[in-house]
Amino acid sequence: MLKLPCNGVDRVHLMSQCGFMGRPTSFFTGRSSVKGFRSTKAYPVQAVASAKDGAVVNRVEADIGSLANRLRLGSLSEDGLSYKEKFIVRSYEVGINKTATVETVANLLQEVGCNHAQIVGFSTDGFATTTTMRKYHLIWVTARMHIEVYKYPAWSDVVEIETWCQAEGRAGTRRDFIIKDYATNEVIGRATSKWVMMNEDTRRLQKVSDDVRDEFLVYCPRELRLAIPEENSNCLKKIPKLGDPAHNSRLGLMPRRSDLDMNQHVNNVAYIGWVPESMPQEIIDSYELQSITLDYRRECQQNDIVDSLTSVEALEGAEVVPELKSTNGSGKAMDDKQERQQFLHLLRLSNEGLEINRGRTEWRKKAAR
Amino acid sequence: MVATAATSSFFPVTSSSSSDSVGKSSKHGVSSANLGGYKSKQSSNGLNIKANAAPSKINGTAVTTAPVKVENDSPSQHHPRTFINQLPDWSMLLAAVTTIFLAAEKQWMMLDWKPRRPDMLVDPFGIGKIVQDGLVFRQNFSIRSYEIGADKTASIETLMNHLQETALNHVKTAGLLGDGFGSTPEMCKKNLIWVVTRMQVVVDRYPTWGDVVQVDTWVSAAGKNGMRRDWLVRDAKTGEILTRASSVWVMMNKLTRKLSKIPEEVRGEIEHYFVNSDPVVDEDNRKLTKLDDSAEYIRTGLSPRWNDLDVNQHVNNVKYIGWILESAPQPILESHELHSMTLEYRRECGRNSVLQSLTSVSGADIGNLADSGFVECKHLLRLDDGAEIVRGRTGWRPKPINNFDVLNQFPSQST
Repeated sequence: MLKLPCNGVDRVHLMSQCGFMGRPTSFFTGRSSVKGFRSTKAYPVQAVASAKDGAVVNRVEADIGSLANRLRLGSLSEDGLSYKEKFIVRSYEVGINKTATVETVANLLQEVGCNHAQIVGFSTDGFATTTTMRKYHLIWVTARMHIEVYKYPAWSDVVEIETWCQAEGRAGTRRDFIIKDYATNEVIGRATSKWVMMNEDTRRLQKVSDDVRDEFLVYCPRELRLAIPEENSNCLKKIPKLGDPAHNSRLGLMPRRSDLDMNQHVNNVAYIGWVPESMPQEIIDSYELQSITLDYRRECQQNDIVDSLTSVEALEGAEVVPELKSTNGSGKAMDDKQERQQFLHLLRLSNEGLEINRGRTEWRKKAAR
Repeated sequence: MVATAATSSFFPVTSSSSSDSVGKSSKHGVSSANLGGYKSKQSSNGLNIKANAAPSKINGTAVTTAPVKVENDSPSQHHPRTFINQLPDWSMLLAAVTTIFLAAEKQWMMLDWKPRRPDMLVDPFGIGKIVQDGLVFRQNFSIRSYEIGADKTASIETLMNHLQETALNHVKTAGLLGDGFGSTPEMCKKNLIWVVTRMQVVVDRYPTWGDVVQVDTWVSAAGKNGMRRDWLVRDAKTGEILTRASSVWVMMNKLTRKLSKIPEEVRGEIEHYFVNSDPVVDEDNRKLTKLDDSAEYIRTGLSPRWNDLDVNQHVNNVKYIGWILESAPQPILESHELHSMTLEYRRECGRNSVLQSLTSVSGADIGNLADSGFVECKHLLRLDDGAEIVRGRTGWRPKPINNFDVLNQFPSQST
């Protein structure tokens, strides 16, 4: 009677004695148990027998987990507290400037956030919830998003994004990102986002309870680590509601089917696309978006109609000259020769004027090509 | 039929070998048989060591360790497309079948290849590479979360974006990229650009988040002055064919906007990339009728966003598909999935265009969709003033049941 051995090395022997030449996948279903053991290399049994004294022969290439997991170019850091992933910029993600658009950057941030959540064991249904959250029907929703890009990547550039999350006060968590050009290791962008919990049935916000906090804090750096440490950075500044009437507007924007994510909500990134819709053409032509900050107030459904409004915001120490706010709503900003411009934005529901989100953008003059 | 198409597209080989159809009956004998059957036959004959290594893999997920090297890079001499027709010639057949093995093995086991052949590994960043002796370009895409649509599967726009990406990368890798749009250097000199006139796509299965798809693309001649570009999309892990697409392109002078013949200099640049193969999708030659205001579903006021524009501030072709679907009736979108699409591109539009999308459903009763199997719709995308942008026909089939739960899974074990 053959006694089934319990430890890995013996199992390998057992299989080879049975003349099993292929990969012993079925034995090693628990990946963690496999580490350190290697299978035979399609060679006769004798080679394996010699491994009895612990000299390993080959690595078991356990084919558990999807191909994507293995191809996934992302991994947790050594200490398990942050996650990094590489992405290549595809041609259709590149916009009028021949560089990736800010929506592309936002999409990649969303992707890396989702992948981080998935790899540490949160749900993969798109909501990235912990077990306790699911018990209470709680989901994460974005409250604020701030993205800065110093240098936009071009088609077929590879960027590496690192992300981590931390608690933010009692009410929420924050997720920070650092974007680097993989080839040069230069930081080309940073972002930070704030998330709160909402009950998905009542749609009411809820404080982060201690048991939920404990569930995810395990994965967060212990000390505060900010992607954007500057104190007076725009990422923290309050965004006032822009004055009435706005300098520029684009009314009647409609969510498209492609704006819906897998949960049938209008995806956060769609809002980032609507904000510049009311920017004056001259700015889009000669400036590039340096940073965008959005405060999310209300969700938008597929059937809603959205207005996008923009007004110039005075930079510190300057004033908006009144007569330039004028003619046919073109809202020509102060002076085209200026190196930087700043704008306030509002997205609202068309019919009742309810605020969807508020935003601020900073623009810098495009480099002459 | 699909299998035949697959293998023939797999070996879309040189125009030189004449396809004098020797033994038409044999056409079905070799290629459409399942490859699994072949492999076992091979191994039992012990015809060559390399093939022998193959069998243990087909049944599952075994790692290949056999030193099967040489064959992979030069399959071309042994497998003119007509190998199918040369069945009586056994040595040819065996050589060809071995090549099928190796190609299929490479197809299915790419990731398992040992690092001593690093060029055979799936390229980590999905840059893609030329395979098949320089004729086919292959690139992998991992489906990202933001590419998933409301159906919980990759959207048709995502698939089309991947096709566009591989087309550009093909031209770039072949050293023919004169600008960012697929114009060759000679074309740039003459201010010529490619414009798509026709696109046909058939989707057998939509991939979902985390899937990896492998896209193969190649070009052929289309008439005297056109080019056809075909794509074949497979599941990178299983080799299952997910999507097939075929497009027709003509040359246009970008300044005069007039169509142009292919000049000799350009022909010299691109001709040897042309592959002599049948279109990967059966041509749908039915006339596409133009809809008018009597169409049942009309959606107006569609306008391009900044994000829809390419470097020339023209709307990217793929966006038209999204607009076409904007007027597709909601009941169809909910219960059916887009299976096939034929588009004829007429005109382009820019930033300030305002479009209307019209849809007419043929044959099925909208109120009774639950019972209908295949539904067909006709589409028109036009400007406010009536100028036609795209005409189309779409085919829809009931959604497979498992789509709804495909994403509601929690990882069973953490890595």
